[in-house]
Amino acid sequence: MSEKAYSVIDRAIEQKVCIGGGNLAAAEAIAAIGYELEGFYPITPSSDVGEEISARVARGEVDMVFVPATSELAAISICAGGAMAGARVVDATSAQGLLLKMEELPAISGLRIPMVLNLATRTVSAPLNIKNDHSDLMSILGMGWLILLAKSVQEVYDMNIVALKWAEQVQLPCVVAYDGFHTSHGARRFQIFADNRIVRDFIGPKPPRDLYIDFDHPKTFGAYMNDDLINNKYQLHLAMQDAYRLLPVIFQEYAKISGRRYSMVGTVGMEDHPPVAMLILNSAAHASEDAVDRIKASGRSVGLVSMSLLRPFPADELADALSGVRTLMVADRADEYGAYRSYLANEIGALLQARHNPARILNRVYGLGGLNFSFHDAVELYDQALSADQGEAVADFDYYGHWEGDPEQQILTPPKAPAPIVEKTDISLNEKLGARMNVSVMKTIASEMPNRIDKTSACPGCGAFLNLEMVLKGIDGQVALVYNTGCAEITSSGFPFTSFKVPYAHNLFHNGSSTASGIVAYYEWLKKHGRVDRDMTLLVVGGDGSGDIGMDQLIGAAIRNHPFIYLEYDNNIYANTGAQLCYTGFKGMMTATSRVGKAQVGKTFHSKDMVEILRGTHAPYIATVCESHYEDAVMKAREAQETVRNGGFAFLKAFSTCPLNWGTKGEDGPIVARTMVETCMFPLLKIVHGITTLTYNPEALGKKRPVTDMVPLMGVASAHLLKPEYADVVADLQQEVDRRWTRLKAMHESPVL
Amino acid sequence: MKTEEEFDLCYEDELGYCNVKLVALGGDGANTIGKLLFKIAVDKLDLDGAFDAQYGSEKKGTPTDVSIRLCKLGRPVRTSGTLSTPHILAIMREQLIEPMRLNVGLQPKATVIVNTTENPAAIRDRLQLADGKIICLDATRIAAEARSRINIPVFGLLIQVLGFPDQAAREMLSATWPKVSEANLKAYEGITSAQFQDFPYDGKYKHLPYSKPQGGVIGYLTQRPGGVLINALNSSYGKTHGASRTGQMPLFNPDACIHCVKCYYACSDPGSIVFANGKMMGIDYDYCKGCNRCVMVCPDTKNGKALTKVLEADYAEVVLANEAASYKNIRKAS
Repeated sequence: MSEKAYSVIDRAIEQKVCIGGGNLAAAEAIAAIGYELEGFYPITPSSDVGEEISARVARGEVDMVFVPATSELAAISICAGGAMAGARVVDATSAQGLLLKMEELPAISGLRIPMVLNLATRTVSAPLNIKNDHSDLMSILGMGWLILLAKSVQEVYDMNIVALKWAEQVQLPCVVAYDGFHTSHGARRFQIFADNRIVRDFIGPKPPRDLYIDFDHPKTFGAYMNDDLINNKYQLHLAMQDAYRLLPVIFQEYAKISGRRYSMVGTVGMEDHPPVAMLILNSAAHASEDAVDRIKASGRSVGLVSMSLLRPFPADELADALSGVRTLMVADRADEYGAYRSYLANEIGALLQARHNPARILNRVYGLGGLNFSFHDAVELYDQALSADQGEAVADFDYYGHWEGDPEQQILTPPKAPAPIVEKTDISLNEKLGARMNVSVMKTIASEMPNRIDKTSACPGCGAFLNLEMVLKGIDGQVALVYNTGCAEITSSGFPFTSFKVPYAHNLFHNGSSTASGIVAYYEWLKKHGRVDRDMTLLVVGGDGSGDIGMDQLIGAAIRNHPFIYLEYDNNIYANTGAQLCYTGFKGMMTATSRVGKAQVGKTFHSKDMVEILRGTHAPYIATVCESHYEDAVMKAREAQETVRNGGFAFLKAFSTCPLNWGTKGEDGPIVARTMVETCMFPLLKIVHGITTLTYNPEALGKKRPVTDMVPLMGVASAHLLKPEYADVVADLQQEVDRRWTRLKAMHESPVL
Repeated sequence: MKTEEEFDLCYEDELGYCNVKLVALGGDGANTIGKLLFKIAVDKLDLDGAFDAQYGSEKKGTPTDVSIRLCKLGRPVRTSGTLSTPHILAIMREQLIEPMRLNVGLQPKATVIVNTTENPAAIRDRLQLADGKIICLDATRIAAEARSRINIPVFGLLIQVLGFPDQAAREMLSATWPKVSEANLKAYEGITSAQFQDFPYDGKYKHLPYSKPQGGVIGYLTQRPGGVLINALNSSYGKTHGASRTGQMPLFNPDACIHCVKCYYACSDPGSIVFANGKMMGIDYDYCKGCNRCVMVCPDTKNGKALTKVLEADYAEVVLANEAASYKNIRKAS
């Protein structure tokens, strides 16, 4: 039988107690293993893995290359490159992050590149949800990757160590999957080796394989293949079989050093040969162990089966474990929509049929979108299986934990009056107000221009909705909104409430500009055919993060000159995912993935200049705005709308405050914003058909300030730069700000630059 | 460091856990002190257990909670997710008592710590506590006076209720925040002003056992395909941001206002600053989260600043009246 033999190892190797979640456990393992490269892009709930490693790299405790990429696909491709070159590489992701990497997954297995990818499992959107289920994990079953599972924080640590050894031995990539939040964030007591050398000895030297960096024997990787491809895949099939044979050996070796013995299939209570059992994975399996104890205490006999790996599929061990079972509850934390049953149930069904096991399979889809699964829930699923086993009518397939809702009760806004839509959509309000901007006009706009957005759950002092409102104050007529995923998105449409009074759509992470292209292109077509006659100004809203991951789509829309406004609210940081580095941040800035320590002083490269990147698209209107100059901002919003009404693309970039992630007081935002403008770190300008105008020139007014004036203001993001030892970083920052500013001044002077 | 004797936890449920729950707003530091408690339990007392927090799209200022399950070492810890049946409940923001129905799921003879200026009897009625102990503490004031944060006095009471060693707690505070150790220790010691009262079961309020929530109003029969929301029916308009304010808020003095409109464009929660007919009419406290950006940009006139930062507790009636909201309705009507 597969399990039960938990033997205490004679020679205990010293371990120490650690407290933390699965992400910390993964990071501890990564640090202990001595990986050489990590490609990184943040996605909740896996981001901490990279954050922890980047912090240790900055402190000089871990000697490896840490590359914050522009997307998950970029991150894993950086890993692929490093591994081809010969490095030991690791990555971490979740949900759509895994799906975005998907293109590269079969490339890595097809090229036979060993690496480890931690997967803090999370539901795949839409609807957007950051919590746990296995819909991401189940989508990669056929990608040629080994897949280990970890039920607990301890197992995350252990499986990470096992994973690399296994992956290198069979030259295949390996995923270590653990439950997002339940395991990734729940802090537990776990053990780690006191000495990294134990781990490194266990994994051993890199087995020889073909490497890209080998100038004495140059090789070609990634050849195009016609008929021969089938042989490549057959080799992959054979490698999986090797992996299946090898894992028990590695588990046994690992037990010797750790005292923790794993088997491919874990069982609880199966030694009594109960007629009823449940098969369930990861944290829910762990919780179900308490249920087995409880049901046993009530005099009934049930068993529990879980798995330590999904690929290769541990067929023999499962068949063995399930041999005496009459009724089997298979609980899937993902639905394979439209399939006969869901993922696990189908696979188990096929196995039992092949092994002539007549057990009845019940299949429940549970815990989607992070719904917690406690031992009470396990008891309930066991009750259903026990009832079925007693011959009662129980459905073979069902969901667990969903609810009907009340058809009578759908309006959510009472007790207050029904929410207003938009008070006015006067398309000529701006015309009536005249072209000049002054206090009087600003007051009239504040009174007359409708609010298109209602209450949001943004942090107090957040700049996102301030900027959006400021820009919308310059835009009259019918507004429509498209958001990328980000703070402004997540705080304005938490189901079942919406903050919007106008048409609004959110599409994932970086797809807003393309989504908007589809909408406006179709709208133009409808107009051409005379089917609509209303004016529409579509505004895409994205943070600086979606301008990193979505840079290509934004550039594409700008080059196509699709008529909409793209508003980027830039707080220099990935605020929604937990304060990681953004390419818009300034050099030296401290973020969760650009820490300050003896080996690193914050962000190592200068800020991305999105305006200059877009200059090359020759889009008709590109401008920056800041709350410190709101009249200028409202005017630019008008001009952007005018551009759109004339059939062109307009880009607005707003500096946006983030008290949460900078660690500043909400009320200090206006000072930070003004200082960013006056230090020329955020210059106010517009580029209209290639002609650059500085709309505010602090230098000409004698107000240009050194970047050292900004340094004390942005909280923990910049405060370290006050220290004398970082004077060279500040000098470098000043030099770059001045270099860019000098070029802008020259462009302002000359319409042909 | 290991203790000589096994530490006895003051409560235990059917799985052997002592359940501690902290209810707060995002940014209050509940997560941090929860982790410190767990760390003391594991490192200093050789206990085991689990620390879990409520995660989601929550930002600063939105309600959140933290769960700590403590048990003897050797009991396998297999649970995950937040707990619903606390023995010890710490409420760091009293305004969360009613909307979060914090009495539901409380274990009999629970201990409830509340950051409030009210007394235990008043809190008992607000909480509708069947029985147990209520400890009231003005953590906001203690923290302000010590230049610390509200989580520190709450941490102090939790240490006391759990019977954790005082010295370990002090060391943990100093080690975690070495730069503000003095301020934190002052706040930690401020708990001597706490009021304790026991409430034996008298039938005034019933125990409300936790039952699994049946989900939201909208279910699979009523959710529109794709989860689409009808803006007019599902509007956030009916909500209030009051709970996000952390004690301070802007107050409007029309006599000092020159209607310069700066506050309007500095407001991070549009809708808070109400302009009608070109004039500043005041603050709609249903929208305002109390960031006080508007106070920062408000110019000093001969009559002083029109917007000043005040303690919300001192102007509860202004918030209740929320006069500015009515100007929005006038504007709409006209």
